[in-house]
Amino acid sequence: MTLQTFLFVCLSGVVLGALYALMATGLAVVWTTLGIFNFAHGTFIAAGAYLAWQLSQGGHSAGFLPNAAISIASLFAVGVLFHLLLVKPFERKPNAVLLSVMTTLAGASIVEGIINLVWGPRSKQLQSIVGDIRFAGIVMSYNDVVMIAVAVAILAAVGAFLRYSTIGRSMRAVAQNREAAQLLGLNVPLLYALAFGLSAALAGMAGLFVGSMRFMTPSMGSEPLMKALIVVIFGGIARFTSPIYAAFVVGMLEAFSTYYVGLYWTPAVLFALMIAVLMIKPEGLFGKYERSV
Amino acid sequence: MSGALLELRALSGGYEPVQIFRDVTLAMDHGASIGLFGPNGHGKTTLLKTISGLLDPWSGDILFEGVRLNRERARGRRRSLYFNYEVLIPRRMNPQRVVRAGLIHVAQSNLLFPELTVRETLAVARLAGRGRADAEALRQQALALFPRLRERLGQKIRFLSGGERQMVSVACGLIAAPKLLMLDEPTLGLSPKLRHELAAAIHSIRQQVPLIVVDQDVDFLKSLIDTLYLFDHGRISGRIERQDMPSHDQLMRMLFGQTH
Repeated sequence: MTLQTFLFVCLSGVVLGALYALMATGLAVVWTTLGIFNFAHGTFIAAGAYLAWQLSQGGHSAGFLPNAAISIASLFAVGVLFHLLLVKPFERKPNAVLLSVMTTLAGASIVEGIINLVWGPRSKQLQSIVGDIRFAGIVMSYNDVVMIAVAVAILAAVGAFLRYSTIGRSMRAVAQNREAAQLLGLNVPLLYALAFGLSAALAGMAGLFVGSMRFMTPSMGSEPLMKALIVVIFGGIARFTSPIYAAFVVGMLEAFSTYYVGLYWTPAVLFALMIAVLMIKPEGLFGKYERSV
Repeated sequence: MSGALLELRALSGGYEPVQIFRDVTLAMDHGASIGLFGPNGHGKTTLLKTISGLLDPWSGDILFEGVRLNRERARGRRRSLYFNYEVLIPRRMNPQRVVRAGLIHVAQSNLLFPELTVRETLAVARLAGRGRADAEALRQQALALFPRLRERLGQKIRFLSGGERQMVSVACGLIAAPKLLMLDEPTLGLSPKLRHELAAAIHSIRQQVPLIVVDQDVDFLKSLIDTLYLFDHGRISGRIERQDMPSHDQLMRMLFGQTH
């Protein structure tokens, strides 16, 4: 393996890692705050990508950034709606976790059906940013570079929001102890809805990336969703950063395993490695299994 | 009766389907503090949780400064074994509204937010008192009462000792700018030294805020409150004014006979 190849594989690992980090963080925000797993997270990816695609069609496209902003904002609204219709009615019920598995799966298939109905099953692609940078003998496309930079910036912004802003702090407080948060007068339903919206917006962001990397299909989100789930379990959710680190580890592993083992066996290799790690460290690679954001 | 700060009218409640307390009626005058005393498991904590809106009352009303805190309509009862109407039934209480009104509940052995630092926790508590009082002054006052917390500001709650957590809890209650503070067994499980420290702080809070205190130590309550309510099997079984208050041993003998 030459240095060039090595660097190239590393780069593709980082790109995958950035994508998984966005996905996994979105999942973890809902998981830690509401205590449920949102199976519709994958379809939020597809919805974000298709919305951006629709906006970019026709002569009156406002440009990439406004389109992206509109589709992410719409996804925020979709997330809030999802929470109100599918999750909130079952809150605090004896089997809320199982019920929410069912309702979010149902929501996922409904959204997927709507996408199929509106845009059809033919695959589409978001316009990617053309051009490349040559550096140390490897070629990086602008698209990859922008993606990594944007993902890192967004995650840093979300981290700062959770840590320093009043609303973010309150979200963490509700996640860690709902009753104590209520006794301090925090608006729990509003914070839950915001967490869901934030998570969906992150998924929409990831959708823009996936849409510019691969072909878009209505079920384009299911594979990244599975990876994100792996990342969250693998990394643990002790800290906001745990799934992010884990995402880059998984991305790297996937890139190297694709190069050495081949595409076909990569999922099996990934799972085997992770099961081995979780046997030794069941609480996740980067900390204890605790609901804390 | 409109002059009362807090008034409970025939309040009943519990955890569906088990009723925990029934027909609790009491009125607190402005500036007076009361204590609740009774054996464990007889509904004192459930009563406080109902007043603060964590649980819906089954019947009766809660009035604070003459304003009804619960919705007027009756509790929606579950009428069918097979269908769950609860989704359609609006809650009778909203904890946020209770806090906004200035009624703050410091829960029993509150674990707070394990991954938040003390500083962040106090900042969250400050949101509760927004617009009602000078938050910064209250924060400084709370830190003056518990100097130990000042050294711990950057520390996460989960690294604090039980006593320090209790201090943060009480400090949060104070920072939330209460008009009435409910303390649920504030000295539970503390060492005598910490107990003493916390008791002194609570005495100092008492100078500016009326309290409802649940505690097992009558001698502590005696020095703090004006009226003691005895709580027994979910009902108020007795009322003792400050001047008639017996010592801990006397009261135990009164309640349980010679064996204690």
